[in-house]
Amino acid sequence: MTKILYVQTSGPDTPERTYAPMILGATARAMDIEASVFFMIKGALLLKNGEAEKIQLGDFPPLKEMMDQALAAGVTFYLCEQSVALFGLPKGDFIPEATVAGGATLNDLALEADTVLSF
Amino acid sequence: MSENIVPDAELDCVGLYCPMPISLTKEEIEKIGVGQILRVDADDPAAEEDITRWAKRTGNEVLKIEKEGGILTFFIKRLK
Repeated sequence: MTKILYVQTSGPDTPERTYAPMILGATARAMDIEASVFFMIKGALLLKNGEAEKIQLGDFPPLKEMMDQALAAGVTFYLCEQSVALFGLPKGDFIPEATVAGGATLNDLALEADTVLSF
Repeated sequence: MSENIVPDAELDCVGLYCPMPISLTKEEIEKIGVGQILRVDADDPAAEEDITRWAKRTGNEVLKIEKEGGILTFFIKRLK
């Protein structure tokens, strides 16, 4: 199956950059495309419990709702948990749906995918 | 159990985080012979996905992953 990997590097301080991978991922699933989102750097902060609920822009529903839709559609979430150490934040307390992963996984996913898009 | 795997070498990555478990596993597996088994202990939760993908990518085989009390134990067979 065709695969797209979305790399989410932006986080809560640029909320306008956080919706696209959720929308694109859900759309990809509807197109029979395998879709994964790798959350890293500030993007990792979006998966802290309660964080996506706080993001809501314009006429869009809260980010959390879009995340749940993407997950329900079969989008796979990967989390670079180690990223939070960049900001001196403690690890843990992430949504359980994301698979904790690191550099080997991101490299592998990128090579496996037909296209990689970064946000 | 007959499923017990006896490793030829052991690597302790407890307390180490990405990319150390991968870097050290690569170093250690090159020290054992083809067909031999390396045991790796790690508590970085990223290691499960990372080591599994690293092994597939490098042509080695993860024979078994055990999980106990937050410690992941991998048995990796050097295939080439």
